[in-house]
Amino acid sequence: MAASGIAATPPGSPPSSPPGPASPPPGLRVIAPPRQGTRSWPLIDRLGYWACWAAGISLCAIAIAIVVYMFVQGLSALSLHLLVTSPAATLQQSQSGGFLDPLEGTFVITAVGIAIAAPLGVAIAVWLSEYGNDSPLARAVESAIEMIAGVPSVVLAIFGLLVFSQSFLGFLSESTSSGNATGKSFLTAGAIMALLALPLVVAATREGLAQLPGRMREASFGLGKTRATTIRHVLLPSVRSNVAEGVVLGMGRIIGDTAIIVILLGGTLKTEPAGNVPVLGLLRGTGSTLTNYVYYNSPAGEGNSHEKAYAAAFVLMIIVLVLNFAVVRIAAGRRRSDDIGGSWWRLAGGRGLIRTLRPAQEPRT
Amino acid sequence: MPAGAAQRSFRARLGGGAGDRRTELFLRALAVGTLVLIAAMVVTVFVEAWPSFEANGLAWFGSGGDADLQLKAMYENVALPGHSLLYFRAWPLIWGTIVTTVPAVLIALIGSTLAAICLTEFAPEPIRRTIEPIVRLLAGVPSVVYGLVAILALAPFIEKSFISNGRKQSVIYVVQLGGENLTLAIVVLAVMITPIMVALIAGALASVPSAWKEGSAALGVNRWRTIVRVSLHTARPAIAAATVLATARALGEAIMLAMVAGSRGFAANPLDGLTFFYEPVRPLAATLFQEADGLTIGALGHTLYAIGAVLLVSATLLSFAGWAAKQPLKRYGIRT
Amino acid sequence: MRVNRTLAVAATLALALAVPAGAAAKRLIIGGSTSVLPLMQKLAAAYHQANPKAPAPQVSGGQSDIGINGAATGTLDIGDSSRDPIVGVDPKGLSFTKLARDGVCIVTNSKNSISNLSQQEVEGIFTGKVHDWSEVPGASISGPIDVFQRTSASGTEDAFQHIFLGEYLKISPSAVPEQSNGLEQLHVEKDEKGIGFVSFAYTGGVHPVPYQGVACNLRNARSGQYQGVRNFWMVTKGTPKGEAAKFIKWVTSGNATTKKIINSSWIAVYPGSLEGPGSGSA
Repeated sequence: MAASGIAATPPGSPPSSPPGPASPPPGLRVIAPPRQGTRSWPLIDRLGYWACWAAGISLCAIAIAIVVYMFVQGLSALSLHLLVTSPAATLQQSQSGGFLDPLEGTFVITAVGIAIAAPLGVAIAVWLSEYGNDSPLARAVESAIEMIAGVPSVVLAIFGLLVFSQSFLGFLSESTSSGNATGKSFLTAGAIMALLALPLVVAATREGLAQLPGRMREASFGLGKTRATTIRHVLLPSVRSNVAEGVVLGMGRIIGDTAIIVILLGGTLKTEPAGNVPVLGLLRGTGSTLTNYVYYNSPAGEGNSHEKAYAAAFVLMIIVLVLNFAVVRIAAGRRRSDDIGGSWWRLAGGRGLIRTLRPAQEPRT
Repeated sequence: MPAGAAQRSFRARLGGGAGDRRTELFLRALAVGTLVLIAAMVVTVFVEAWPSFEANGLAWFGSGGDADLQLKAMYENVALPGHSLLYFRAWPLIWGTIVTTVPAVLIALIGSTLAAICLTEFAPEPIRRTIEPIVRLLAGVPSVVYGLVAILALAPFIEKSFISNGRKQSVIYVVQLGGENLTLAIVVLAVMITPIMVALIAGALASVPSAWKEGSAALGVNRWRTIVRVSLHTARPAIAAATVLATARALGEAIMLAMVAGSRGFAANPLDGLTFFYEPVRPLAATLFQEADGLTIGALGHTLYAIGAVLLVSATLLSFAGWAAKQPLKRYGIRT
Repeated sequence: MRVNRTLAVAATLALALAVPAGAAAKRLIIGGSTSVLPLMQKLAAAYHQANPKAPAPQVSGGQSDIGINGAATGTLDIGDSSRDPIVGVDPKGLSFTKLARDGVCIVTNSKNSISNLSQQEVEGIFTGKVHDWSEVPGASISGPIDVFQRTSASGTEDAFQHIFLGEYLKISPSAVPEQSNGLEQLHVEKDEKGIGFVSFAYTGGVHPVPYQGVACNLRNARSGQYQGVRNFWMVTKGTPKGEAAKFIKWVTSGNATTKKIINSSWIAVYPGSLEGPGSGSA
């Protein structure tokens, strides 16, 4: 869902004062031309204008209504107690218990998903833009990534279930006592989640790499550096903010997905590690996430606890807000330091040269 | 350009020394590995789905009986009389998908185009600055939250206001009406995909070179016509791309539709008049999600993979359409 | 150089992790019927307390057919079923061990406390012949009847079909299918025109309707007066082995803990356990 933001200034709006000297000579008044009214327009244009305004106002009204409703319901149900208590062990959630475990599960799944998707995505993007060029293999990889971006997550989930219940992958999840792998764990769900985030990371990194001017690469080659070193020391540091943006967008997608969680995470409300090994046990165990918890406590699930569902939904929305804010800041930071031409290239020896080929991080004065 | 030996060595260096080759091999291996994984996924889904298609042929997409009863027969391992265990006619589910996705995308398309025009052209700056983060927030909200709000706030309202006893009686022989029905599904789906479309279309409208609009104004064309003739016309690829993206999202939406659309494999009947809008439906992705427990049961597993294959193919076609729609965008350097 | 060192470190780390990773994390995985679920959860918790060294068994739902098929394919160690085995339909080679007996109650909304439903009325309502509450004597509300049934994989649905409707009548296809006992209970609780059927353990918040003059409670089920009683089974592939065998043996041994748990809302079936009128709480 890589959506570009709405532009900051409205292009094409008529200037409010005629161009020229800022203040008129004394004794003269400036009469600005009146803003074009709609009275002179034919009826059909006026109808369109009003339809526009109607759509705009209803969009604002509906958007604000939804946000306010979710915030009000969520805030009224949210309490600190919920955030730090584990869910109760019963089917009915309305009596007791919070959503500490689902919160923990959300973080673990996102961490696993990004840990797989980020390096893999950057590697694929780098290969596509630096080495692959337009070979048929590159095109095939490109189309495959595009396709994954559009596949419904249920289909990815059933594929994951099929793959991870094979016995040779049994170490990724728990097994029954007779040795069959269940295929449901944080690791398996996280691996499929990585497929969700991968296209976003690849697209963002490729865009960043494409925007880097060719002279950066040529200058580096001209100094005798290999392509690998150029990528590692010159190009990748320059696209850090693009990669960050892709990663944050991927995190948003991972956090919001429920289907993969329900099918691949084993559905136990509390986090149940598999065995006693500290980190690996947790990763191979089952648990739940906030989205799973919201579904379970909604009328479509059995928890029968609407307030807790609203509270968990509220926490989800706060996380989405934070991620959106992060994307905006990253994009704004990049716009500031985007210009990399100019006089601040300094010639120094050896590694210092490589370092100075990176664009300056401070804004250009 | 350095000439002769220096040039050859430069080219050779570009082609790669040993370290370069290793890096390229490593990166290429990763990329090809991912490609192989994705291809394996597609092949596996189709291989598992093949028995269902083989048993039913093209009639798999047709209608013929209650899809729910056919799935039930597979659970119970008792074939319906006169048919094999793999007998399945997916039309009620396909119709459910069509009848939720198409109206939702149409409503969202018209609504978001008009709203985007209003936001970029007519709305004053403070309003735009407040609405933009809200629209972006809504675009990122998980679908299960939309489903939750819909079931708890909207469904009882619909049930009380629109589903009278008389209406229920008129179709009670075939299906029971409840708050979760087609109308709720269309409304929530439209609300869910509008923010994404608004963001994309507004971004495209804002990137139209102002010189074009000023030129049009200089020729005496009023603002509305300028917008329609110049901005919208230029933003056509973005609108097409946004529609494709929204359709893909709507098609793949499993969890929210499982919550709000009623979950009955029933082909809503337009001949029922207005009651058509209050009948429960069950789109393909929602079916797959709700029946996912049965993947290990033989015949049911093949049928579910067949549904997955259909979803995969339609997602690929949409993806391709989206790519084709985005190509003209590159001319104007519009980011999508 | 740095690359080589990073690779070496990464390789050793991977090897170090692989050693415990190679040991598959085994656990007793039980799943299936949502009717058996509350009972099995309590039994599993008690078993873990009695044997703290073994990892706690994992209990989940999914409905009876999933439990039976899961046991057959090996995805579950023990499958729970709330319907009797059907020869020719169930996968071959399964062994069913009786766990307990349980009752199925017809439930209506608490605003609609019907005092009795006869066999004909039950048949009429659930097959769809009777559509309106005004045609049902004793109903305190009016309007079309909202019938809730269970989805295809449910054992409770099979049990209801056999016990209340017999071999030839089928539940009306227009009834709304629910995926578990819990969901059925929730929907009947919220819909004042609703009627459905649930297992004993799920009758909180709704009104259990007396069937043929007999109230639906544990006492009447134990004494045999209430006829809507069915079996709970534990299903394994072949004779139970290993961890599964240990668990089943513990559960069916009739020790004090299991007796107490089963008798709380279900009917025990082992010699020396509670059976008969007037014993235990209803």
